Amino acid sequence: MIDIFQVNPGLWLILAGVICAFVPKGDLGGWARKALVIGAPIFAGIMITQIYTSQEVLAGKINIGGLELTTLRIDNLSMVWGYLFCLIGVLNGIFGLHEKCRITDSSALIYAGAAIAGVLSGDLLTLFLFWELTAISSVFLIWKGGEHAYAAGIRYLALHVLSGVLLLAGAIMYANANGGDYMFNNIGLDVPGGWLILLAIGIKCGFPFLHMWMQDAYPKASITGTVILSAFTTKMAIYALARGYVGTDILIYIGAVMTCFPVFFALIENDLRRVLSFSLNNQLGFMVCGIGIGTELALNGVVGQVFVHVIFKSLLFMSIGAVMYRVGTAKASELGGLFRSMPFTAIFCLIGAGSIAAFPLLAAFVTKAMIISAVIYEASHGHPGLYVIAGMLLFASAGVMEHSGIKVPYFTFFSHDSGRRVKEAPWNMLVAMGLASALCIFLAFPWGGYQMLYSLMPYDSSGYTPYTVDHVVFQLQLLFAAISAFCVLKKLKLYPAEKRAEILDFDWTYRKLGLGIVRWIGAMWTRLGISMTRLRDRAISGTGRRLYQMFSPAGAMSEDAPSGLAAVLTAAMLILVLIFVYFVR
Amino acid sequence: MEILSLFPAWLLEQGPAFVIVLPLLMGAITAILPSRTLAWWTALVVTLLCTVTAFALLLQVYSEGASLYTMGGWDPPHGISLVIDALSAPVLFLIAAMAVVTVIYAMPATIAEVEPKKRAPFYAAFLLCFAGLMGMVVTGDAFNVFVFLEVSSISTYALVAMGAARDRRALTAAYNYLIMGSIGATFFVIGLGFMFMETGTLNMADMSRILADLDGGSRVAKVGFGFIIIGLGLKLAMFPLHTWLPGAYAYAPTKVTVFLASTATKAALYLLLRFTFTVFDPSFDYVAVVLKYILIGVGVVGMVFASLQAIFQTDARRTLAYSSVAQVGYMLLGVGLATAAGIAAGYLHLLNHAIIKGGLFLAMGAFWYRFGITRIQDFSGLSKTMPWTMGAFMLSGLSLIGVPFTAGFVSKVNLTIAAADKGWWWAVGVIVVTSVLAIIYIGRILLAAYFGSPPLIDGQPAKKNEAPLMMLIPMWFLAVLSIAVGSNILGLGDDFVMASERAAALLTGQGG
Amino acid sequence: MTENNTPDTLTKKELEERQNAHPFAVPFLWLGNQKVIDNFIWFPVLGMIAMIALGIVYPQKHPAPWDVVPGSWAIIGFAAYTFIVLCAKPLTALLARDEDYYGEGGLPDPEYSTEHTAHEHGGDHHD
Repeated sequence: MIDIFQVNPGLWLILAGVICAFVPKGDLGGWARKALVIGAPIFAGIMITQIYTSQEVLAGKINIGGLELTTLRIDNLSMVWGYLFCLIGVLNGIFGLHEKCRITDSSALIYAGAAIAGVLSGDLLTLFLFWELTAISSVFLIWKGGEHAYAAGIRYLALHVLSGVLLLAGAIMYANANGGDYMFNNIGLDVPGGWLILLAIGIKCGFPFLHMWMQDAYPKASITGTVILSAFTTKMAIYALARGYVGTDILIYIGAVMTCFPVFFALIENDLRRVLSFSLNNQLGFMVCGIGIGTELALNGVVGQVFVHVIFKSLLFMSIGAVMYRVGTAKASELGGLFRSMPFTAIFCLIGAGSIAAFPLLAAFVTKAMIISAVIYEASHGHPGLYVIAGMLLFASAGVMEHSGIKVPYFTFFSHDSGRRVKEAPWNMLVAMGLASALCIFLAFPWGGYQMLYSLMPYDSSGYTPYTVDHVVFQLQLLFAAISAFCVLKKLKLYPAEKRAEILDFDWTYRKLGLGIVRWIGAMWTRLGISMTRLRDRAISGTGRRLYQMFSPAGAMSEDAPSGLAAVLTAAMLILVLIFVYFVR
Repeated sequence: MEILSLFPAWLLEQGPAFVIVLPLLMGAITAILPSRTLAWWTALVVTLLCTVTAFALLLQVYSEGASLYTMGGWDPPHGISLVIDALSAPVLFLIAAMAVVTVIYAMPATIAEVEPKKRAPFYAAFLLCFAGLMGMVVTGDAFNVFVFLEVSSISTYALVAMGAARDRRALTAAYNYLIMGSIGATFFVIGLGFMFMETGTLNMADMSRILADLDGGSRVAKVGFGFIIIGLGLKLAMFPLHTWLPGAYAYAPTKVTVFLASTATKAALYLLLRFTFTVFDPSFDYVAVVLKYILIGVGVVGMVFASLQAIFQTDARRTLAYSSVAQVGYMLLGVGLATAAGIAAGYLHLLNHAIIKGGLFLAMGAFWYRFGITRIQDFSGLSKTMPWTMGAFMLSGLSLIGVPFTAGFVSKVNLTIAAADKGWWWAVGVIVVTSVLAIIYIGRILLAAYFGSPPLIDGQPAKKNEAPLMMLIPMWFLAVLSIAVGSNILGLGDDFVMASERAAALLTGQGG
Repeated sequence: MTENNTPDTLTKKELEERQNAHPFAVPFLWLGNQKVIDNFIWFPVLGMIAMIALGIVYPQKHPAPWDVVPGSWAIIGFAAYTFIVLCAKPLTALLARDEDYYGEGGLPDPEYSTEHTAHEHGGDHHD
């Protein structure tokens, strides 16, 4: 009999996902699936509460071929992610209640389960297993976006599987140097495999130049798919960073760059779901930077930021998803004035936008400032160079206000009236958005709300008070100034109108350049083959030619590399072998 | 062993000659048989008898050790000898068993794919090819290898060309194969000539002894070795000498493709092992160099390139064919490692791949049989129209990728461990990357089949149209076998690993 | 509720707008009024000025070097925002391409991406 307290709670979701895949069609089956989608995360959450104690719990030890795997570890770091993923799993489930699609239900459950199991795993091999499982299970959500999402899904899968492979390679090197110990604790860059693992994580959490999959795939997924995708993969990577690379200096710079560059892309992008993907990238930058700083204050900030971020980012994706569900597009140029027909969605979207921009009384206000404060504190204590980083983070905060705080709600719900009069979002979407909005407000509530959030943080956070007069005042300065700038630029007609366009990003290198090179090589190869055939045809005797014509009937296309080329290759190989045989020792 | 005592003693004694002579003889008779059904029955009985014999010989090797059979009682080096040992016996059994599987399948398949009046000759050519392959594996005489190689090759050209009834491109493919195969055989025989010059014998064991006395021999032996490697390389579709393979596999009748894919290249690979490790010896400088640089080099490059080519194919048969080239790369990598573990992994992959690729091509033939489709884009919705066939295809496909609990996984893991043992982490990386590529090219087909919807025929979705039972049984047999090997059901996984380890032990000179 | 006390002074256009809007949105329709939009700017500007004034009274407890300037965060916010927006034009010129640039066009699958066909089909698709 298996002791259920030894089982990684993520596995319950995976199990539910597998069951979902076999639940028959029809109304009854549909409701059974939905019950699983919502019930499984709740059950997993309850299991975490049952297993969690204030100390680190290591359980589920399995011995495979001399390797001891610790499949379950719940301590005060992984516990936060565990709860968070269960919570968001429920919200996503409610949001997707209307969608009768077995594949979505099943892969969403497996995906969420793999993410939970991943963050709750104790060693690198178990982590690797679930790392790959998140990639494989989630790609179906992208493919459910329709035909145009197919190629993006393949690219997504390729990059993520590559990330897993790097993780595995790094883990093996790390364990080899470490006497075969696969436990996932602080790794750092000084050990063998450290860089590989960082690179693997970097792909998943969208380091600059490794980020393209996010903006490529997320906007192409189905509506519920995007909402689900945005919650898990990248946050799992942030967990891995927070576990293995606390205080690694390079992360500070990577994070700072990550906060800044998406701002510009988000500005000129027309597809609002892609804008939100860039915004997601930018938010991850704050977290990466905080992990790089690595002080207790910074880490508390990161954990808090992850928690609220998942909620308000989902809320934003949900609201744009709801709009897309009703209108059929998420392109800013096609939307506008929708507050008249979707007022509740508009309000929820504004709450989400206010949360991400860190308005006082809304979620990010109580967490993002912790990261920035930690940077400034370090800067004033012997690292003046960090003021540059603090400046970049402030700049990025203004940027967040631009793309998520203003652009997304403004172009969707206000702006010029697109004339579209649609129905309000379905009730289940409203419920999900309402719950998320309530959480955004509650978790920043000055009297008893944010304290609950703070109590989840891994270190003692009683020394930090978010609601001080100076903090509120200066944050409002920043935000009001940004809104003023928006109004002024609008008045001066300097604010760019939304245009339909494809914005090039770093993925151009492989989607255009790489593909072009491959095609060119292919064309050259064909040409080489043809000219070789011609050479041979000229060379062989009349009998040979007649023989060739006999065996090559009209209409039979020869797509193969013709034997002329192959014969030359054979000779070349023989020469190569002889050279090796004779000269190489 | 208990089972062994059930076989008559003469079978065990004369078995090595029996498995060659019987199909050779019956091949000639089959050619003039008037009825297609009669020809089929003949082929079935012959291959069954050979399988039983091969199985007996296999058991005998494991219980009593290697045996030497002298033709007509003439002792080697003057007479012709047949050798049954831990290296040849499993391959022999594999070829015979695959022949039975394909013959069963051929019953419905040939009706669709081969012209009526060519059906009896088809079985005759098949039996000749079969005899040639069996001969290549058992013979202990180097020149005999060439003879049997030609017997099997020439009949193979004819078999491939018979695919013209359904696709005229088979003729070009057969021609290409003819040219390349002849070049290969010529190279091989030139190499043998050099070796005869050097050693004065054609018996393999003799040759090996004389070469060892000469400490590897002079330049003549080196050149001979080079020619033999290239000659065999062509036959086993070593990258970049594989160009004949995709066409031949894609356009030949399905039964032939299955048989070729799972036996012909395998027999050639067996010969490569035989020559590099027992006739020559990896302790000679030049052999070691070729193993380390050429075999590994082309193996690895082939794995990556052929996998990439497989991804870009539009025709599913060609995808599988390129995948075969890539899998040969795995085997060469294992052989090139030249450690006991490496060779064992390569040998194991040889056995497993025969089962896996056989299963895939069988399913492919069934798709063509029912719907006349080969392009990947036409696979849309096949999981609904041919669920059982697609199921077998999926199992074999997963095995090809190397999903845990399948045969492909076992051999890939063994290969990875062998490479890691030698400290070749880059090779581990290549194995992983090519496995990912395999996910993509197999995944493309599975995606279309499982997530696409069946095409509309007259406004209605295509109806369920399952393959005939005679096709389903062989393909499910192979699919289940690959799962059984991977999950060690009935101890099959252990048996395969044991077979490969004993073969490797024989080659690296640790007994056997 | 709002329909009952509709003022008689509404123009026909406004009436039509009220009828088309979601009932909950009716009290907020003034948000679309051009005058409101034109004068909205005063809200953030006045808020900003007030906050700058408050900022002088309550300075940062842990000031960064730039916090010696009164209203430093407002300046950063305004400058950063303006800079970002002004970057749009050159960036668009540099990076924007036709929508089907990558040739992966095609519309989102209507069955999953919007309600439109989902309602007609009902039931489980691709289930």
